[in-house]
Amino acid sequence: MRFDPLRALALLRAGASDPSVEFREAQEEAIRHVVEGRGPLLVVQRTGWGKSFVYFIATKLLREGGAGPALLVSPLLALMRNQLEAARRMGLRAEAIHSDNKGEWREVIERIHADEVDLLLISPERLGNEQFNQEALQHLAGRVSLVVIDEAHCVSDWGHDFRPHYRLIQRTLGALPKNVRVLATTATANHRVSEDLKSVLGAALTVRRGPLGRPSLKLQTIGLRSQAERLAWLADRLVELPGSGIIYTLTVRDARLVADWLSAQGHVVAAYFGESEARPALEDALLKNKVKALIATTALGMGFDKPDLGFVVHFQAQGSPVAYYQQVGRAGRAVSHAYGVLLSGAEDDEINDYFIRSAFPTPAEVEAVLDALDVAPEGLTVNELTLAVNITRGRIERTLLLLSLESPAPIVQEGGRAIRTIAPLAQPFWERARRLTELRRAEQQQMSDYARLTSGHMEFLIAALDGDPSPHQGPALPELLTSVSDATLQAALTFLQRTSVPIEPRRQWPAGGLPTMKVKGRIKAEHQAQPGRALCVWGDAGWGALVKRGKYRDGHFPDELVKAASRLVQEDWRPDPPPEWVTCVPSARHPDLVPDLARRIAAALGLPFALTLGATGVRPEQKHQRNSAHQGKNLDGAFSLIAAPPPGPALLIDDMVDSRWTLTVAAYLLRAAGAGDVYPLALSVTLGEE
Amino acid sequence: MTHPLSDNAQAILLLTAPLLLGPGVVGDAELLSPGEYARLAVHLRAVGAEPASLLGGDVAGLLAGGEHGLDPARAERLLGRGVLLSQAVERWAARSIWVCSRADARYPRRLRAALRHAAPPILYGCGDAELLEAGGLAVVGSRDVNETLLKYAEDVGALAARSGVALVSGGARGVDQAGMRGALLADGRAVGVLADSLGRVAVSADTRAALRDGRLVLVSPYDPTAGFNVGHAMQRNKLIYALSDAALVVNAEVGKGGTWAGAVEQVSRLRLVPVYCRTAGPPSEGLSALMTLGAHPWPEPTDTDTFLMLMSAPPAEKPPLDLRSSAPLRPTLPAAMLLSEAIQGYASAPVQVTDVDAEPAEAEPAPQQTPNPPQAPDSPAAQLFSGVRSLMLSLLTTPKTDAELSGTLGVLPAQTKVWVQQLVEEGAVERLTKPTRFVSRRASLFPTHDELGASSSKPKKRTASSRR
Repeated sequence: MRFDPLRALALLRAGASDPSVEFREAQEEAIRHVVEGRGPLLVVQRTGWGKSFVYFIATKLLREGGAGPALLVSPLLALMRNQLEAARRMGLRAEAIHSDNKGEWREVIERIHADEVDLLLISPERLGNEQFNQEALQHLAGRVSLVVIDEAHCVSDWGHDFRPHYRLIQRTLGALPKNVRVLATTATANHRVSEDLKSVLGAALTVRRGPLGRPSLKLQTIGLRSQAERLAWLADRLVELPGSGIIYTLTVRDARLVADWLSAQGHVVAAYFGESEARPALEDALLKNKVKALIATTALGMGFDKPDLGFVVHFQAQGSPVAYYQQVGRAGRAVSHAYGVLLSGAEDDEINDYFIRSAFPTPAEVEAVLDALDVAPEGLTVNELTLAVNITRGRIERTLLLLSLESPAPIVQEGGRAIRTIAPLAQPFWERARRLTELRRAEQQQMSDYARLTSGHMEFLIAALDGDPSPHQGPALPELLTSVSDATLQAALTFLQRTSVPIEPRRQWPAGGLPTMKVKGRIKAEHQAQPGRALCVWGDAGWGALVKRGKYRDGHFPDELVKAASRLVQEDWRPDPPPEWVTCVPSARHPDLVPDLARRIAAALGLPFALTLGATGVRPEQKHQRNSAHQGKNLDGAFSLIAAPPPGPALLIDDMVDSRWTLTVAAYLLRAAGAGDVYPLALSVTLGEE
Repeated sequence: MTHPLSDNAQAILLLTAPLLLGPGVVGDAELLSPGEYARLAVHLRAVGAEPASLLGGDVAGLLAGGEHGLDPARAERLLGRGVLLSQAVERWAARSIWVCSRADARYPRRLRAALRHAAPPILYGCGDAELLEAGGLAVVGSRDVNETLLKYAEDVGALAARSGVALVSGGARGVDQAGMRGALLADGRAVGVLADSLGRVAVSADTRAALRDGRLVLVSPYDPTAGFNVGHAMQRNKLIYALSDAALVVNAEVGKGGTWAGAVEQVSRLRLVPVYCRTAGPPSEGLSALMTLGAHPWPEPTDTDTFLMLMSAPPAEKPPLDLRSSAPLRPTLPAAMLLSEAIQGYASAPVQVTDVDAEPAEAEPAPQQTPNPPQAPDSPAAQLFSGVRSLMLSLLTTPKTDAELSGTLGVLPAQTKVWVQQLVEEGAVERLTKPTRFVSRRASLFPTHDELGASSSKPKKRTASSRR
């Protein structure tokens, strides 16, 4: 198709609402390349360069020339919230289908059928979805003239960012006939990644790279081992940071924790993560500088475009230099001075280790799942699999996902059931898993090296991305102080000790029910526990260490924990109506540890203690049961009522909570025997996958 | 097991395959029929191009001046289904289903040699494709049969297995599956030529072990996601014969069903392999009729030596039937049947093209310099069909089911099917679905509802016949 530069410029100006704006370096050329159909194109440009204008304008020009719509695959849909406006201004009808807008799917699909969509944005997960394929893709894919792959580095096995569904995209791209236009975009593609993309998209792939250096960004690394020190540093230094910005944490729990702490210290901040309600409102608040910072997980992702973002601070180190570069690079796009600060601490490696370890199923897990499916003629649902194999639900789902994304796939998922195919799991799966794990370890090492740098931060990152490693001139900004005030540190320590963890009651018996207890399906409201609390997370920075020592070294919990627990009940939690007596979960293995703790907590609260539940025998340890079906079954008939519960609400004590089945069964027995509300209270919770 | 698709295979799929992404979806009514595609292939060959050339851009230029009757805009629309193709390929590959086009060197040589231009342009399969070159005994029969015949088919399958001969069948319920089961249970090899649902059968627990061990291969010329369709079931019959060395008909009803039609087509016209009829067990009118038409009695071997002898030494050719003297020989056959056979000889003849696709030289049948139809164009059969053609085309200016057609024409439904199918293959008549009806393409002044639906990309609502 012929490219019309004047029309392209008119579209740019309409989209940008700026009648005098000109194309940026290489933008026009990329659009021309796509419109003229000169083969697949990879554009490597920093975030904020304007990649969306390239595919918006290219799509619009193709549509005006009578071609079919464009399909854009992007893992992070924050992209569109502040860019869809630009598309609308140039008359481009763009729609999105992803897991966050299920309510709009029906309407979008109808518009697809009516050919009223110029550009459909989907998450990679959609491509593997049976229902989406049948209802939407079947009607759209026959006309698509341009495929845009955003964050294209994920297509490479060597990309820093392992997203399982990009395996699917990799093959989709490989299977496209050459008459389909392909545009791949990313901010970061080292040599290995672009070579990989070349092997997928064909040798005819054209690669256009922009520079990687960020002259406005002042990078700094500060090592503060304990969480308390890092919390204190944030509280002390936040006011010194320019404008508003983002503080990244590795986990949702830490995002909440940091946000709670900084709010308590008088800063205007909010937590942002995948399940946050009102994500658009939070993004908007940051865009308009109504908050000093969003405390976010990576859910606040690539493509979130705030040109005047003043700082990006990492509360914990990211797992790879490329991911770090992407995140920190969001600061200072259109301002001359911005900070990128990496705080690194003792727990970083542990968390990143967990991510690395849990990325792939173990050979034993794969074998167990495939064996179970082999003997199931009609296949199995995930629920049925939790009965068949002792693996966490999350790991079962992960295993099914990764297996179904292989080609040929050892399993296919159809109508909610996993069905075995004839294909064995080929050796390359394990080779890829091993190679990716090694790569992750090497990147983790690079990040520890980066965290210890005292100078040359930007050069280090550019080198890690195979960019031009010549010396880099940063902005004239002072180094930030690395010290914290004693008063703030003390406040942070107290804050961590006073932070409790909610325990949500279970509302559903496990798959298959508990036959001995004769229960299944929903747990009746009058048999459920109330919401409960735990003092800390197992092994964390507050009380974690004390709980661990009490349980496994001393066989006795110290008075500090009793005091903390009673203070939690009386001052922070204050359940209503308040508990009138205290009881505890029985254990055949450690018959005295928890009753002793419960008696002392009862005494501190001035409440009577009653031993009401007994263990019927030694069962395998609950922590070795990996999913609800197995955990529930292991407890079926394990406890019995040994004394009638007193009337009134009860506090139900346990030392550690993992799957919550122990508490659920104990609360059921008490409530069924006529006890009032049952409030679970534990010293710590483990953050397992269930 | 699965190979990346060649550019030619991509182009042929884009032009002819429905590319279904799930059960309960319908394909595009614009697809080229086998006849239309064959004419296009001839044209491309003539201008020194191959199917893949169409992916290079200048579709209108490549199509100019040919007698293929393909509108460039329609070709562009079909070729523009690239993303759909990539998704369908992914769906097939996940189920270990391979796809192979007639333009690929690894297309089964037996099919190419036996069926030439009537060989399906696209073949989908699961399992070891090498098994398709091994020949074997085809066992055919109907779906609804009694225990005795099922046991009979199983025993034949087991004997074939013991003799090291593969069993070829249509993989349908009844005789097909019984024969296959007999062979596989006796550690033998089998070839299943499916008319539908390859995607489902490929992951079914019954066939998994044999597919995995390389003892079973399933193939189909129809989209792996497509469901049952009578026309498809009839059409794949010739593939069963083409992939075997000899065929055994276990039961058939006179003038009814795919088994009958397929066997008659073999003995009266295609004659790809010797066709035998069961002689042991309960007598069958259909089998007797087939034998009077030219099928041979199956000597019912019980040991491997006799069985192998039978497979290696074809029976003496029976003299061609003399139609005029046929009445006393076949008292059970209605007169219309005799007529239909005579017509079938010409009516279902492969489209007369001299070349297809861009077949590799070594696999390519020698170009036919002088078209040599089984019967001269002015034969009585050809004259009859010529009359039938114009009559049917005028009847089909409005869509009709084949039942309606046979009512109007006053001939047996089986005969109507044969005629209609021939017109579909010629591209003169189009098949509509839900319900299955036929409509004349040329004589249609007003687009039908379905055609409108296809061109405006409106959703085609239908009730999904999903598995669960």
